[in-house]
Amino acid sequence: MGGQTRYRRWYRRLLGLYPRPYRERFADSMEQTFADLCRERAGTEGRGTAAFILWIFTETFVGIIRERASDLARLTMARNATAVFRIVKWLALATGGLMVAGVATVMLLARGTGEDVTGVVAPALLLTLLSVVAAVVAAILQVTSGRSHRLRAPTRRFWTR
Amino acid sequence: MASTRTGGPLTPAVLHILLVLSTQDRHGYGIMKQVEADSQGRVKMGPGTLYGSVRRMTEAGLIRESDKKIDPNLDDERRVYYGITALGQQTLAAELQRYRQVVAVAHERSLIPRAMGA
Repeated sequence: MGGQTRYRRWYRRLLGLYPRPYRERFADSMEQTFADLCRERAGTEGRGTAAFILWIFTETFVGIIRERASDLARLTMARNATAVFRIVKWLALATGGLMVAGVATVMLLARGTGEDVTGVVAPALLLTLLSVVAAVVAAILQVTSGRSHRLRAPTRRFWTR
Repeated sequence: MASTRTGGPLTPAVLHILLVLSTQDRHGYGIMKQVEADSQGRVKMGPGTLYGSVRRMTEAGLIRESDKKIDPNLDDERRVYYGITALGQQTLAAELQRYRQVVAVAHERSLIPRAMGA
């Protein structure tokens, strides 16, 4: 019985990883179902129980990832796409800026020493270029998404899987 | 996508949940046990799959929360019961029709062994 209480407590903690709206709606029922399954298993106490509990935890964890992913997709596809693109743009710019600063520092330190810094500078410049490209793409997407969001009402995706 | 509404394939979990709820309202554990029984133990659903499907199905209008009551066979805790909607019945009927057509094609091409098809 102590084992069951412990498992139920752990399971409750695991359910805490679901997105809040989902958790508020289903966590109690899921915990209740878990307790039912544990009770059913109690009669067949033995080697199978640990594997069974592990299966339930793994299966629930997969469910958490699925819900988190669909939550994120919904967030990105609906109204917050502009915000996501804005974050990506600033992250890319920050990376590019850091790269430029790093290259400048390396070149400054290497000045006069005759040391070949091409091996360090070349990849850093390439990364800078990629960051700039990413920032430009994100900025374009940010503007497009903002414009389309203003023009049409949010669409509701139909469930499939 | 929208194919589901027009009779497109359903996932095994969704199909089994609709089948189970087509006869009577049930709570989560009840659905799980009936699915296992209906499929002769071949389909085993954990709480993650079950409630994930329940969320999507309620959002799609295939099932609804019917009531919160006590299951006399279990304990004295109140449980949320789920029931099938008219759209759920239609979707289930469309899916079963699709299966019937698949089986008919398989019969035509003699793909079903005699013992199974009899």
